[in-house]
Amino acid sequence: MATLLQPEKVLYLVRGEKKIRVPLSQLYFCRYCSELRSLECVSHEVDSHFCPSCLENMPSAEAKLKKNRCANCFDCPCCMHTLSTRATNIPAPLPDDPTKTTMKKAYYLACGFCRWTSRDVGMADKSVASGGWQEPENPHTQRINKLIEYYQQLAQREKLERDRKKLARRRPFMPQAFSTHVVLQRQRSGAPIIALYGLSLKEGEDQKEITIESAQALDEVEPLPEDYYTRPVNLPEVTTLRQRLLQPDFQPAGASQLHPRHKHLLMKRSLRCRKCEHNLSKPEFNPTSIKFKIQLVAVSYIPEVRIMSIPNLRHLKESQVLLTLTNPVENITHVSLYTCEEGDPDDINSTAKVLVPSKELVLAGKDAAAEYDELAEPQGFQDDPDVVAFRKSNKIGFFIKVIPQREEGDVTVAFKLRHDFRNLAAPIRPTEEGEATSEAIWLTHHVELSLGPLAT
Amino acid sequence: MPLFEGLGSGGEKTAVVVDLGAAYTKCGFAGETGPRFIIPSEIKRAGSPEAVRVVQYNINTEELYSILKEFVHLLYFRHLLVNPRDRRVVIVESVLCPSHFRETLSRVFFKHFEVPSVLFAPSHLMSVMTLGIQSALVMDCGYTETLVLPESLERVPILSAWEALPMGGKAIHRDLQRGMKIQEARFNLDGSAERPAPPPDVEYPLDGQKILHVKGAIRDSVAEMLFEQDNEEKSIATLLLDTLVKCPIDTRKVLSENLVIIGGTSMLPGFLHRLLSEIRSLVEKPKYRDALATKSFRIHSPPAKPNCTAWLGGAIFGALQDILGSRSVSRDYYSETGRIPDWCCLSTPLPDSVYEAGKMPPPLMKRAFSTEK
Repeated sequence: MATLLQPEKVLYLVRGEKKIRVPLSQLYFCRYCSELRSLECVSHEVDSHFCPSCLENMPSAEAKLKKNRCANCFDCPCCMHTLSTRATNIPAPLPDDPTKTTMKKAYYLACGFCRWTSRDVGMADKSVASGGWQEPENPHTQRINKLIEYYQQLAQREKLERDRKKLARRRPFMPQAFSTHVVLQRQRSGAPIIALYGLSLKEGEDQKEITIESAQALDEVEPLPEDYYTRPVNLPEVTTLRQRLLQPDFQPAGASQLHPRHKHLLMKRSLRCRKCEHNLSKPEFNPTSIKFKIQLVAVSYIPEVRIMSIPNLRHLKESQVLLTLTNPVENITHVSLYTCEEGDPDDINSTAKVLVPSKELVLAGKDAAAEYDELAEPQGFQDDPDVVAFRKSNKIGFFIKVIPQREEGDVTVAFKLRHDFRNLAAPIRPTEEGEATSEAIWLTHHVELSLGPLAT
Repeated sequence: MPLFEGLGSGGEKTAVVVDLGAAYTKCGFAGETGPRFIIPSEIKRAGSPEAVRVVQYNINTEELYSILKEFVHLLYFRHLLVNPRDRRVVIVESVLCPSHFRETLSRVFFKHFEVPSVLFAPSHLMSVMTLGIQSALVMDCGYTETLVLPESLERVPILSAWEALPMGGKAIHRDLQRGMKIQEARFNLDGSAERPAPPPDVEYPLDGQKILHVKGAIRDSVAEMLFEQDNEEKSIATLLLDTLVKCPIDTRKVLSENLVIIGGTSMLPGFLHRLLSEIRSLVEKPKYRDALATKSFRIHSPPAKPNCTAWLGGAIFGALQDILGSRSVSRDYYSETGRIPDWCCLSTPLPDSVYEAGKMPPPLMKRAFSTEK
């Protein structure tokens, strides 16, 4: 995705299970572990459900009951767009006087995109605007429920047997072949079910016996209809595979049997650090709100490096690249840069030598009111003009020297960024009066910049 | 809703049931009558315009791990909308799934998503569970291959009698793309070798600008390749008969009267009827006439569409919370041993209950590998 800021050019290294290099805008910072975290090394959890069209929040118990579908909104079975309810006036006889007719409102569903309506599949118009539309039920539901009950009973029996006679021989009631601990050939087939029936009654259990009829096999199946060879195909009537698979219970082949389904919900995710189990990101419940209850993103804790200008880079010639450093926190931050040492295991991509300023850079705190303040007070920092190009509130521009080592290809450099971080989330300890608010710890990050191709 | 499900009914939450097929994946919850979603088994990556297939057996582990991770992430957070950490997982898979794929899949589930337990259930066995019968001959016509596996007496698969053929939806797609050879359709119903006039042509619009002209002759003949016998005289129909021949003689009658056909390719209109006719005509051939005494073939119709039958079996099993836990591989076991037990791997230790002091039961192996007819 092309962005104005080109964040892909500056990558920070995350030391999780795998080493990942990601722009800072996509990273999270765990305040408790004091480490960067990427989306791969956090655990995702479902936070809340909401309907994408009516933006109504749904508590998770209700979502489970409704099978994660909205109660009010429907999807067009043809094009998956959201259906809208339309009203017409139809003449209907008055209840008291059958001879006179009056206009009553009737509602039907229609798709604004593909012009499908609920009348196409033969659904009658409803007299209430919402709540009247039912989804058809699976015809096999009863049989499946009976099967489940039957197997539940067998499973219960097996569990009782197993619990009661732990050391004696176990008679398996259930199908044997599962990839748990056994090799199949060494198993023995258990006694038939009928013998177990006798077994349970003998032991004085008086549960109601649930038996089911086994399915009957058919001798003959329906052949292909004869007119398949003569009838021309009515393409609008044939459903596409995608339309069919949206309704797994029915999978109709004809478009006149495609019924609309309730809209599927979306969910909001919360992220949690795997090591310390603290939440890194927790959104609001309200679907219309884009704020977060907890938002520990990296850009609000770690100084960000951005590339400002790149001169022509020539092979083995030293050039100066202008970078900016932004301080996201409100107190003064000290940053020092180090080149990567020889044989650094993190340094695998760099194709150029880099000389970073050896002095420590001081960044002013971020002051929210400063942008409205026309008269910027001089900040009183002594800056070396060779190193620092400019300074503006919490941002400085500084130079680094780059010497490309390869004749072709893109120039990539890497260096270490060390800064102090004041952890304001430290646990409350009894502090004496006048002591510093919190300890500063020094964090080091590995930063990689891709400066583009060499100038020809 | 089944009686045993309910809000706050005590006990665990319902398990997640996933059937990872080569073409489509069926996912949903245990105890339900159908999968929530049937989605294509592929993921879209930012780099390439084409989707990447999820079920690939020939790529290296790291790549497979990241593809599977992304796919399972989509399953949980876009389709199922549940937390992976809370629910057990039932994976319905083919018996011939390579161990490397299973290991990577279980690593994704255990290490990345931290599920409590995973159960790998064979798809053929699960389909038999939807019928409530004891023995059946199950044929799975899927995308990459057709696999036949008989299950008999207490639903133990007779593993030695499996048969497979790489003929499935993929082969039909490949043929269609190559713009094929029109084959002679063989209609053995009434013995006449005449071919009826081909069905009418179809103009299929693509993308609003192009139109695909499908000749009528292609429409009926391209599915022929499933039934055409190749050099080894194998076709889908012969698979069933070969399996029967391999099975012990006393089970053959029961198996032949309890055929179950599952898989997406078997949903082609007229497939079952054609299959039955082929089997009935092939049984008369000299190769099988002497070997098989049984001539009656019957087909079951499970309470679900053929592409969801295996999923439904997995869902029924997943609803049995009493024993689901004891039969699954738990996260603790996995972190101790680091491996998933596999049916073809002899190094897995057996549980103690199978070994009875002094009472070794006759192993099933004897019957299955028996050469006596």
